[in-house]
Amino acid sequence: MNDAPWRLLPYRVLRAAENMAIDEAVFRLNRREGLPPTLRFFGWQPPAVSLGYFQKTSREIDVAACRQAGIDIVRRPTGGKAVLHEHELTYSLVASADHPLFTGDIVGTYRVVSACIVEALRRLGLTPEIAFEGRTAAGTPLEGYCFAAPSRYELLVGGRKICGSAQVRARGAFLQHGSLLADLDPMRIASVMGVSVDGVTKTTTALREQLGRVVGYDDLARLLRGAFEDTLGVRLVESGLSPAEESLMQRLLSEKYNTDRWNLEGKGDSGADADTADF
Amino acid sequence: MSVFQEDLFYSREHTWVRVDGNIATVGISDYAQEQLGDIYSVELPEPDRDVEQDEAFGSIESSKSVAELISPVSGEVISVNEDIEDDTSVINSDPYGSGWLIMVELRDLDELNNLLDAEEYRDYVGEEAGEEE
Repeated sequence: MNDAPWRLLPYRVLRAAENMAIDEAVFRLNRREGLPPTLRFFGWQPPAVSLGYFQKTSREIDVAACRQAGIDIVRRPTGGKAVLHEHELTYSLVASADHPLFTGDIVGTYRVVSACIVEALRRLGLTPEIAFEGRTAAGTPLEGYCFAAPSRYELLVGGRKICGSAQVRARGAFLQHGSLLADLDPMRIASVMGVSVDGVTKTTTALREQLGRVVGYDDLARLLRGAFEDTLGVRLVESGLSPAEESLMQRLLSEKYNTDRWNLEGKGDSGADADTADF
Repeated sequence: MSVFQEDLFYSREHTWVRVDGNIATVGISDYAQEQLGDIYSVELPEPDRDVEQDEAFGSIESSKSVAELISPVSGEVISVNEDIEDDTSVINSDPYGSGWLIMVELRDLDELNNLLDAEEYRDYVGEEAGEEE
């Protein structure tokens, strides 16, 4: 048991831009401020599509359909594919890359986090499998949709993906976030992502389908918290953002995540250096 | 096993520098490309832009992560490897050769003193990976 407690930012439902600004602020300042590893649980209101850092918006999603449906669009600081965040519990984990639990290779981080989520799913009575690294063939109809193909160390139940994750690393720290699907609306996903309903159904599942019941988000967050604590042998202590994180979060909101320039065009990422110059 | 080419400088952020006069060619180390796995996308600065030592100059996306590229030197970008934008796999297959990223006209040669040689970098990577000597 490592005695130094980790920080838990408890489950909150926020706008897409706020969620990404918080994640990036926590990530940027983790090492600089000497903050402990931080685990956060959150939801999205209104529902949102998030794009991977490098994705081309027009190629991946139907912007007009999103706007008409009241779905926010945000670009993540992390890699990977587009995700519709509507019926899910999202986690984010920030830590130093040289933290004893995460040393070694990049995949090790996915492996450690996957083990925690596997434990949570087992406690629900499911039998998850970890998917190994893979890549959707370029040009396939589901290419841009995150849940279409198991990639990295991600989690499947019954051969279909239930939790997908993405990561960014800089200056010896990493941010990994991921979505655990509580429920699934294939028609909704198909309507905004340009994929087929059948494709979504064949590749993706959710807790409700697997369990035959709805698990509340607060319960799910509690379950995951316990699974992380027990699997990693760490103690999570509820807390909030530091003043520096709060201030950087506000700047990232106004200069980056509230702008179409970043969210739709992928421009205006002034980088950690400009964003954190004052800290 | 990663290759640590002898005639290069390395940064703790896993870039390498090959110096010719006051021109530095910059890329990512073999260790970095091994860590990242298959590289899909690279974002590099426009020519004529200034980069600063220890500040971000671009990003790289692989099958596993997005990694920020941190410049090992300061100066003006005089050339960007356009070939890799069409075929990022050369960063994996030839990180010290055709997988180079940018060329920089160095502003301050003394900055090279902040970098590591191959042996120091090999030791640094060993420590970071938690390996024993």
